[in-house]
Amino acid sequence: MNWLSRFFPARPRLTPAQAQRLAAWQALPAADLQLAHAQSRYVVVDVETSGLNLAKDHLIAIGAVAVRAGKINLADSLEIVLQQKQASNRDNILIHGIGGTAQEEGVQPVEALLLFLAYLGKSPLIAFHVEFDESMIRRALKRKIGLDFKHPWVDLAYIAPALYPDLARRYRALDDWTNCFGIGNYARHNALADALSTAELFLALRDRMAKKTIESYKKLQDLDKAQRWVNRIS
Amino acid sequence: MATAANSLIHATADHLISHAPFDQMEREHVLWMAQRLELGYYAKGEVVLSPEQGTADKFYVIKQGVVQGEQGVVRAQEDAAWLELHEGECFPLGALLSKRPVTSIYRARDDVFCYELAAEDFLQLTHLSAAFHDFCTRRIANLLEQSKHIIQAQYSHSSAEQQSMSSPLSAIIRREPVTCSPATPVREVLETMHALGIGSMVATDAGNRPVGIFTLHDVLNRVALAQLDLSLPISSVMSSNLKTLPPQALAYEAALEMAKHGFRHVLVTHNGGLAGIISEKDLFTLQRVGLRQISSAIRNADNLDALKQSARDIRQLAHNMMAQGVAPEQLTQFISTLNDLLTARIIELECTAAGLMDSSLCHAGFCWIALGSEGRFEQTLNTDQDNGIIFLAPDGTSPDQVRQTLLPIARRINEALDACGFPLCTGNIMASNPELCLSLEEWKEKFAKWIDHGDPLALLNATIFFDFRALFGLSSLAEKLRLWLAKHVEGNPRFLHQMAANALRNRPPLGLVRDFSVGEDNTLDLKLNGISPFVDAARIFSLATGGLQTGTLQRLRQAAAPLHLPPREAEAWGEAFLFIQLLRLRLHHEQIEAGLPMSNKVNPDQLNNLDRRILKEAFRQARKLQARLALNYNL
Repeated sequence: MNWLSRFFPARPRLTPAQAQRLAAWQALPAADLQLAHAQSRYVVVDVETSGLNLAKDHLIAIGAVAVRAGKINLADSLEIVLQQKQASNRDNILIHGIGGTAQEEGVQPVEALLLFLAYLGKSPLIAFHVEFDESMIRRALKRKIGLDFKHPWVDLAYIAPALYPDLARRYRALDDWTNCFGIGNYARHNALADALSTAELFLALRDRMAKKTIESYKKLQDLDKAQRWVNRIS
Repeated sequence: MATAANSLIHATADHLISHAPFDQMEREHVLWMAQRLELGYYAKGEVVLSPEQGTADKFYVIKQGVVQGEQGVVRAQEDAAWLELHEGECFPLGALLSKRPVTSIYRARDDVFCYELAAEDFLQLTHLSAAFHDFCTRRIANLLEQSKHIIQAQYSHSSAEQQSMSSPLSAIIRREPVTCSPATPVREVLETMHALGIGSMVATDAGNRPVGIFTLHDVLNRVALAQLDLSLPISSVMSSNLKTLPPQALAYEAALEMAKHGFRHVLVTHNGGLAGIISEKDLFTLQRVGLRQISSAIRNADNLDALKQSARDIRQLAHNMMAQGVAPEQLTQFISTLNDLLTARIIELECTAAGLMDSSLCHAGFCWIALGSEGRFEQTLNTDQDNGIIFLAPDGTSPDQVRQTLLPIARRINEALDACGFPLCTGNIMASNPELCLSLEEWKEKFAKWIDHGDPLALLNATIFFDFRALFGLSSLAEKLRLWLAKHVEGNPRFLHQMAANALRNRPPLGLVRDFSVGEDNTLDLKLNGISPFVDAARIFSLATGGLQTGTLQRLRQAAAPLHLPPREAEAWGEAFLFIQLLRLRLHHEQIEAGLPMSNKVNPDQLNNLDRRILKEAFRQARKLQARLALNYNL
């Protein structure tokens, strides 16, 4: 790879069938973000990567679970390991537990990302520390299938402190908040298990949302934005 | 909709499988279920399910948190929570199966996550999985069945030691054999035997191979009578004619060898090395402990020491029966039967010794009555004695004169019972108390006074005395008193009302904060909190319907029809009662084994998961029974 290819990455090549699947996804109508939670499907997502460097590291696994009408639907969930040319290093493997062989036997990245899109539909996304998940997914979609992924995201790392300002100083990480509600995790740092814990946290926050009349995704986005502003000035 | 089972589905199935009834189901069916589950959240205080929601349309399994059930109608505020459900427990069953609304309000007590299965999937699952179907239709019976398996597993080891003559010798060996070298002086051997309290010593060579045995029997003729020099080596007096058997040989082979050769000891060797010693006494113990053997031993016993041994054997038999998983109802019946036999034999021996057996008093008649738990056939292993005497004074004698004759004999009987492991009653509810050695007329007078006054002491007495039954002597006296009592109580609804109010003061210890509300020492009293609610309610139901039974189960069964109690509920109460009885028996047995004083206190944290759950279920049944009692008496 010469230095130029860094700036002009090769255009991803999709088979006609793959291109058709991408087009079909793009043609889906956008979700109505004003709908009440009870009428909506949200997708809670978590990713595992080869490291924490947004510029250099890449996606290893995607885990996602859907919240429909305020309940987590266990079967409406997704767990994909992306095929890697080269397995990530040992320390990294120890974190997410996806071994070298599993990484090499994963799903072709293009196929994996198309599966993710088909699963997602146009449902709005929820994550904890969105910047990370969003960047990783966005970059992968751009590079592998040439999609400019502009999708609604809401970040529970901002929603939770906004709903519980009294706890905001002490609670920062996902583990802090899940512990606060006694939420377990069947396999920490497994993308799907983390997505489930995040989804459970979202459900547990619903009580406060109701009290503050945050009854739609749009309201969640507003709250997210407001909290980001609070964090900046405080 | 169902995707291939991913790690989430498998993790959910794993979680479910760690709880009953899912642990009994095939994994394939649990996975089928997991793929159809939703996960819902309920904030503290939020209603999960209520009668207002109409026909139950979801099956809930608690993933995390505590859900409490409130019986909306029967009692509103105080004691609202009558059931508590924890992780792994599921609800509702009855409402889903009969497609009706639930009867209680289910409310989240803290942050609760529930797996939720749609009603149609729930019904399909009952068709798919036989284990699940079984659980849903026989909830408490099923939990009990599982508990039985666990008990059997727990006891199988220790019971193998006493099972029968077909046990392998390895299971009978009591302890490591004590050995010495053949060169050890006789004096030293005798000192060791004395210090350790053992009956035999085996001499072994350097390779632990037995070369000779010296027993207490040898002391007399080979040492004492022969005036042996005690500094000689043991090899000069030991028998080197040894009989050895391998550890896998059966007990009866050892018995045969002993009989054939006239030995009292058989050595157990493994690859030539000494593994243990079996004595004639060890084998004798095996044979003695059987129902038939015990009862014939009691019948033939002619002194207190023989009866004391029988009393110990009864306890041993109870242990063996628990190990074999004999149902608690039969178990308590066996214990009662044998204890009755034992008591009757004691009375018989004492009366004969006192020359009472052929007196005019004996012809007129007297009857030894059992009271309290003994009267209900519900004795466990630590029951103290509750008894009394009903007599008819022969013509020309006053009741007081008769009492003077009977009281000293009754005293001796009470003491003999005490020696056999039925402690004297601390409340002096015993036949040797002049207040409780009464003529039939005096008993009627006493009962009538209690029923008419209904003061707290009378109510307390009624709970002990109204469970009387004949144990020895002229049983028609007890029957006459029973018939009279049934009639007299029926005409006094006020008294029953008071008894009901009294019984309802003792609530089953289901906690608001934890599973159980325990005392300061973190224990529950299985007798006071566990058994009493059932016993008290059954007594009232029985008295209210003119029943003549004294056993709690029999009373519930008899009263079910006249009181229009749903048969399934009456049955569930009985099962719950029996389970608590079983727990008590096990507890007592463990205490005896550990040499601890017996008590009814159990720490729920020390029970296994399943037993804890059944106990909770049993307490819930007690709540239901009390609710019924309250309803019947407008309390």
